[in-house]
Amino acid sequence: MTDIYRPNNQEEISQFIYDCYESNRPIEIITFNSKPIGRSIQCSQTLDLSKNSGIVEYQPDELYIKVKAGTPLIDILEVLKSKNQMLGFEPVDLGYLYNGKPNYGSIGGVVSCNLSGPRRFKSGSLRDHLLGFTAVNGKGECIKSGGTVVKNVTGYDLSKLLAGSYGTLSVLTEVTLKVVPKPEFSETFVMYGLTPKEALEVFSKVMKTSLEISGACHYPKNNIDFLRLNDLDNSRTITALRIEGPKNSVQERIESLNKIFKEVKEKTILEIYQSDLFWKISANLECFNNSPKIVAKISLPPTETTDFISQFCEDEIMGINNKYFVEWAGGLIFLEIGNEDPSYLILEKMKKFCKEKSAHIMIMKADNTFRTSGFFLSSSDENIKTLASKVKLSFDPKSILNPGKIYAGI
Amino acid sequence: MSLVMPKPDEATLLKSSSIINGLKKISKHVLSEEEERAVYETDGLSIHRQKPIAVVLPETTKEVSLILKYCYDNNVKVVPRGAGTGLSGSALPLEDSVLVVLGKFNKILEIDFENRCVVTQPGVTNLSITGAVQHEGFYYAPDPSSQMACSIGGNISTNAGGVHSLKYGVTTNNVLGVEMVLIDGTIIRLGGKNLDAEGYDLLGVVTGSEGLLGVITEITVKILKKPQSVRAVLIGFDTNDDAGNCVADIISAGIIPAGMEIMDKPLIIATDNFAKAGYPRDVEILLIVELDGTESEVNTLIEKVLEIAKKNKASYNRASESDEERLRFWKGRKAAFTALGAISPDYICMDGSIPRKKLGTVLNEITRLSKKYELAVANCFHAGDGNLHPLIMFDSNNKKELKKAEFFGADILKYCVKVGGVLTGEHGVGIEKRELMCEMFNNDDIQQQLSLKKAFDEKSLLNPGKVFPILHRCAEEGRVHVHKGKTRFPDLPSF
Ligand SMILES: Cc1cc2nc3c(=O)[nH]c(=O)nc-3n(C[C@H](O)[C@H](O)[C@H](O)COP(=O)(O)OP(=O)(O)OC[C@H]3O[C@@H](n4cnc5c(N)ncnc54)[C@H](O)[C@@H]3O)c2cc1C
Repeated sequence: MTDIYRPNNQEEISQFIYDCYESNRPIEIITFNSKPIGRSIQCSQTLDLSKNSGIVEYQPDELYIKVKAGTPLIDILEVLKSKNQMLGFEPVDLGYLYNGKPNYGSIGGVVSCNLSGPRRFKSGSLRDHLLGFTAVNGKGECIKSGGTVVKNVTGYDLSKLLAGSYGTLSVLTEVTLKVVPKPEFSETFVMYGLTPKEALEVFSKVMKTSLEISGACHYPKNNIDFLRLNDLDNSRTITALRIEGPKNSVQERIESLNKIFKEVKEKTILEIYQSDLFWKISANLECFNNSPKIVAKISLPPTETTDFISQFCEDEIMGINNKYFVEWAGGLIFLEIGNEDPSYLILEKMKKFCKEKSAHIMIMKADNTFRTSGFFLSSSDENIKTLASKVKLSFDPKSILNPGKIYAGI
Repeated sequence: MSLVMPKPDEATLLKSSSIINGLKKISKHVLSEEEERAVYETDGLSIHRQKPIAVVLPETTKEVSLILKYCYDNNVKVVPRGAGTGLSGSALPLEDSVLVVLGKFNKILEIDFENRCVVTQPGVTNLSITGAVQHEGFYYAPDPSSQMACSIGGNISTNAGGVHSLKYGVTTNNVLGVEMVLIDGTIIRLGGKNLDAEGYDLLGVVTGSEGLLGVITEITVKILKKPQSVRAVLIGFDTNDDAGNCVADIISAGIIPAGMEIMDKPLIIATDNFAKAGYPRDVEILLIVELDGTESEVNTLIEKVLEIAKKNKASYNRASESDEERLRFWKGRKAAFTALGAISPDYICMDGSIPRKKLGTVLNEITRLSKKYELAVANCFHAGDGNLHPLIMFDSNNKKELKKAEFFGADILKYCVKVGGVLTGEHGVGIEKRELMCEMFNNDDIQQQLSLKKAFDEKSLLNPGKVFPILHRCAEEGRVHVHKGKTRFPDLPSF
């Protein structure tokens, strides 16, 4: 049995962590317990941050919002929408993946995972949108870094470090995020029936134009049933390109795409409503709705993607047929694999591939056995692990905050 | 000017010649003669000068690793240096240090259009990266005004910004990976050609760390395709407040210009004289707004911007009709520092960041301070992202003026923090703003940063005396977190 503590504010969080520090008690940090992400960990204490919630300051004309870390992301999105603004990193709702229903969780959780949606390759990742924070470190001390302005080089940029640290360095209590105007208009240019290799060639081609594509994904044949939109034919592979901006500019650029790909016979255009829906479904990994299997995220240079797909995703001759899709104009693959023994073998082979190709794997979802004994990140570089361990201890000297969540023993 | 630096280590100074010999066994390029070292005694903040024990110009990562390991084993301080254009003194040598200059790392290693990136050595200048890819219509986005001279390694270490950062981000948003040598000689790689690096974002903290965490020996940066169409408009105003409001209104209207810059009258005149940019000379404040995208998009946006300008009582406007004209608009702004150098014997350049809508207020305060200190000031701003560069003019032959200029500068920065901004937007803390860190951070904040530094550099040998205060304790009584009657750091030394 673990004790769950639900502090109301930073003072109480700080006091609690300080007490745990003094008495050497490890703490698991949760908000709505919405994300069983990372390695599974055992702690005598649970810190539930959901009560430390609320919008502190929203300045639409200064393009930032400051919120307490326990604030539900959905509330933040609503407030931004009322001013025609949004979060530029296009947050990912992992609720579908884990439980088959929407649940963005808290902003603190979202920041701690540093996951970014389809716009990533154009607009940067979540960490590029975190302007500042306050947090409590593993000694119970309240620390801060950054601010509310976009240009800031005053001291180390700790925001970068805390984004994506999975609560292992400090407990975020307040975050300031950059916000951006919502694009006035958007449409999606869809091509049907392309092979993964052809899709990658399309991405390469459009990324060498000035068309400012803000979404580029490819869904293979084994992973299209769930894409149900009026104007979308989901019987063949789907390669989609999103264009956003002022209406006249979007239409001009869609026209340019039509010209560039005039050879491609089968294509369609999703108008704004369906376009928005399409990218939301894609961002939220709805194709892996409540998946019982292992789901991995592979970040890789686009030139390695075709190779990776033929080795690990689909290959008729080798009989490989795993569900996957390609995002970020070829820079990202989400892949589902079985969770029995042969898949562990595949994972090991994938790790080897990644080590050689400036790529890496993150396990988005796995059963408890794998989360206990397997890896979460594919790192194999011992020097980086040593440094990561020192960095962890510099924030959390007794290793009491989510110990072992990222790497075993760190 | 007296500047307090960490006390030189007597033992190190005594064994200088053995250190020089040790280094010569590792590298062919060790400079130890007085006049050779003098070349490197200062960076862009030239009011401070100090020669190091020796200057080394390594040629390979292996050499850097051996040099650092040698220094680590012998407890010798190391200061990394790129092109030495930094404006905060962060590349200033220490008397008992070895200066590692990356000037010979001057090759672009790989141009990879397929993965939209360039792999380069750190000594390559910022502008040469764009130079190497522009034949295919690509460019490297961050464009500091010093881009012809500053090194990309220095850009990473200072997280340099430019006039297009508003839309395309600063260095940290455009770097994908580095190879770096830690002080004990360990070579590590952070990130690479893929977008999301794994684990803790160490690349993110290394960017902007002013040479305190490691020596960068290779860099992978993102390159972007040039926009279809680009145009700029010049807009003139009679008052600071009108210009400030116009900037805020443009952003509020949901427009994110590629660049948005402000200059005040003294700079308008100075830069126009210098660069023949064609600026209006009868306005008090000049705003340059650049818009990019498809042609029709740019034209629509220009109309919107001009409308907003009119509402804010603009007294002048002109939109560029050709690319030559647009580049001429920028030529003046980009030469701001040089142009001012031509009219004032000396100036110091400040670098605070503030919320955009405080632009008018802060400009007015700077005018007030200028009268108080009886020193002239000229202002340029990266207005879109609230980053201001007041240039305080003085004559260094007059000792009193330098002192006054420094107080004036500090007052401006404190005011920036007071209105919700920060001490430095892009030039870094270095030695210049070191003691002002307490304006923004308390003791716990600073201690956390120092512990992180120790994770990379336990012996504090890399670039000591920079960024963190030496004279002050940031812990003011009221701000120290006290638990159950005991302060957290009862035996903490003052720093
Ligand atoms: C006229 C002028 C205009 C300027 N305009 C701008 C501007 O618009 N925007 C802006 O951001 N800055 C500007 N600057 C400041 C300066 O050019 C930048 O800070 C630049 O990034 C410094 O690069 P550098 O190669 O000269 O670095 P240096 O001055 O040599 O060093 C700067 C810091 O980086 C460290 N460093 C350098 N190379 C390495 C390396 N390989 N590994 C580890 N640490 C390293 C040094 O130790 C030091 O702390 C301007 C300067 C001048 C003189």
